[in-house]
Amino acid sequence: MINLQPYANPMYFAILGVALLPLIIGLLNGKRLYWYGTLVSFIFLVLIFDGNKIHQGIALIGYGIYEVLLSWLYLRYRTNSKNKNSTPLFVLAVVLAIAPLVVVKMTPLFSPNPSLLGFLGISYLTFKVVGYIMETRDGVIKTFDAVKYIQFLFFFPTISSGPIDRYRRFVKDYDSVPSREKYLELMGKGFHNIMLGFFYKFLLGYLFGTLLLPQVAHLAMISRGGFLDISWGLVGYMYVYSCYLFFDFAGYSLFAIGVSYFMGIETPINFNKPAIAHNVKDFWNRWHMTLSFWFRDYIYMRFVFFAMKHKLFKSRITTANVGYILLFLIMGFWHGETWYYIAYGIFHACAMILTDAWIRFKKRHKGMFPSNKFTYAMAVFFTFNTVCFSFLIFSGFLDTLWFH
Amino acid sequence: MKLRKSLWRIFGPFIIAAAALLLLLYAPFSFGKVSNATLRRASVSMSSNILKGNKVKDQAVKQGYVPFIGSSELSRMDSFHPSVLAAKYKRNYRPFLLGAAGTQSLTHYFSVQAMGNQMKNKKAVVIISPQWFVKKGVRPSMFDFYYSPVQTAYFLAHAKNTAQDRYAAKRLLQLPSGTSDDVVTGALENVALGRKLTSFQSFYVKDLRGKMLKQEDAMFSEDFLKNNVPKIQLAASKLPKTYNEYKLEQLANQMGAQQTKGNPFGIKQKFYQNRVKPLVKHLKGSQTNFNYVSSPEYADFELLLNQFAKENTDVLFIIPPINQKWANYTGLSNTMIQQFDRKITYQLQSQGFNNIDDLTQDGNQKYFMEDTIHIGWRGWLQVDQRVRPFLKDLKAKPQNYKIQSRFYTKKWQTQTDLNQMSTTK
Repeated sequence: MINLQPYANPMYFAILGVALLPLIIGLLNGKRLYWYGTLVSFIFLVLIFDGNKIHQGIALIGYGIYEVLLSWLYLRYRTNSKNKNSTPLFVLAVVLAIAPLVVVKMTPLFSPNPSLLGFLGISYLTFKVVGYIMETRDGVIKTFDAVKYIQFLFFFPTISSGPIDRYRRFVKDYDSVPSREKYLELMGKGFHNIMLGFFYKFLLGYLFGTLLLPQVAHLAMISRGGFLDISWGLVGYMYVYSCYLFFDFAGYSLFAIGVSYFMGIETPINFNKPAIAHNVKDFWNRWHMTLSFWFRDYIYMRFVFFAMKHKLFKSRITTANVGYILLFLIMGFWHGETWYYIAYGIFHACAMILTDAWIRFKKRHKGMFPSNKFTYAMAVFFTFNTVCFSFLIFSGFLDTLWFH
Repeated sequence: MKLRKSLWRIFGPFIIAAAALLLLLYAPFSFGKVSNATLRRASVSMSSNILKGNKVKDQAVKQGYVPFIGSSELSRMDSFHPSVLAAKYKRNYRPFLLGAAGTQSLTHYFSVQAMGNQMKNKKAVVIISPQWFVKKGVRPSMFDFYYSPVQTAYFLAHAKNTAQDRYAAKRLLQLPSGTSDDVVTGALENVALGRKLTSFQSFYVKDLRGKMLKQEDAMFSEDFLKNNVPKIQLAASKLPKTYNEYKLEQLANQMGAQQTKGNPFGIKQKFYQNRVKPLVKHLKGSQTNFNYVSSPEYADFELLLNQFAKENTDVLFIIPPINQKWANYTGLSNTMIQQFDRKITYQLQSQGFNNIDDLTQDGNQKYFMEDTIHIGWRGWLQVDQRVRPFLKDLKAKPQNYKIQSRFYTKKWQTQTDLNQMSTTK
């Protein structure tokens, strides 16, 4: 059985290019070949989940039926004018939507085998479903279109690791055909993205992840014994791992975006030069952007509104800070149920709280600190190192270093 | 018209780059010869790309280098190392070191077979480590590290329906390296079953992928070589100007005594400090159950013998000892080592490989071993006693090899009752 994991090697792109050719020719001529696009998507999905991955494929189908039904039921409830907009029911819908993901994430705590419900990309599908339900609650999604919803959820270029698109944005692209000029521009950008993705993932990602990482890891392991086992090897690991994480993931995102463009869908970008962020807040606007915007819009903002409406806290600052802790704790738990993912979440929550406090302090004491190119460069340097340190926590290497 | 221009602007550079790359990878021209300086450096580099490639090795052998096939002991480059002695005393041969920590018979087989008739009527030295012959044979990750797609392509392009090729293909399929390329896996399966390659498989291994790998080898195998030349030069500078057995023996004793001070095993103090001392408590009695008598390595080794027989290569086999003090401390069984020695010697002699330098009894000699299992100083000198006359003449006389396919069988790999074989000797 042929099995094709998305973007695994250059061969995949060659096959994909050939498969997409009719769609591309159609779009160049002002037509979107819906049936053909659906067919290609279906085949490439099958190729990800067939062969020895068939268990995942079955889980994916079960999950899809469940979530589509759930979304449909909730939308039917919301669009019936007789119904009130019940909060408990909304909460129930969200809980039911994330239930499969929670089960999958909790399984490793109890069993050595991964959950039978799991499959590649379940997290990202869940983000999309929850976003859909929330917008249904807000009343901005009013009609249920099963075909478009399924196309949106199972859009194969982004299925395994995002970027996380939003339903209404996706449908706008899906329902229209770009002009030839616009489509040529998309193709140009898309091709550039794919080539840059090659450079990131297959060259730099390989250099940092496959060639350098084992070396610094070995160095760090053999120089254990000092205070907290800190060594030059560990420092090296921190930077090498951070570079690896970025180039591997950003490369992957570039592939997904590039391929989307060829299909006439403008999937949102995921990374915007995170290394030049001047504080942690800025960093989260540049790093894994579709995820952090999702957390911002659907968790942080909603929490802040809720807290203000119900006057949970006296001060706005407390509200924001609790919001940060909530957001990043959930992000930590979402990454996995280990101490280092949760520590990573708490670390970033603290960093955000401190950043806000520092900005307020500077506002209150205008003129106390100089602000020039040099201080800006310092801020970038400081942010970069803070973030790299957080990735060291995230990597789980400290767990190996200290406890194994 | 405008559309074509826009498309060219997007894809043109890529198309040009891809065409240039294809031209480079499939170009009919070769990349010239390897310089003598590079050969000299490659001969002592022990770098994995040298072992995995063909071009440098092939040319080295053509220019009179003699393959010294082994593993980690080759890196013990003291003043009496074969490469040092040959260079210092301007001998008519230069060793070309093939192997490093983790290379075993199977890696060497694929490397040597890809040299093809370059080894015809030539000579080689093989150092057989008893440590290769562990229960499960070569570690898959180690084999993978030295795995060479270009040598596998050569193997497939020349495979025939023989016990040797069938076994080699079967063996490769048991390792992750053998299943890393779908077409190659299919081709190996055919060879393992004694069938011919399909025409596509044949085209793939000879032309499509084979040519590309060959060009890659030609372009890159000379790069990133570890430079051990200064190490060799430094070691050579400590030797007397003219070759004198007695003086060398004295010097080996002197250097050995100097460098082994301060530890109970009589091994190089540096090695003791770094590798033994931190674990010394755990190591006591730790090797009581080691067994080198039953192992798939015997069949892997047979592949190598078969290859030498095919090309009438005259080979000197060296079986190094284990440091006796070390063996006593770790509980490694002497009886087991003797059994191993008898088994491997039997496999060699019964097929006509009679040029064996069996050193297994010398593990208790002073300064013979540089560390626990690697020869050094006087050990290397002992090796030289056999290497020097062996390589007086670099051309192999017609050998009387009689390859027996029973050495590929599971029965032989696991046979521990050695009385059966001594009767047939």
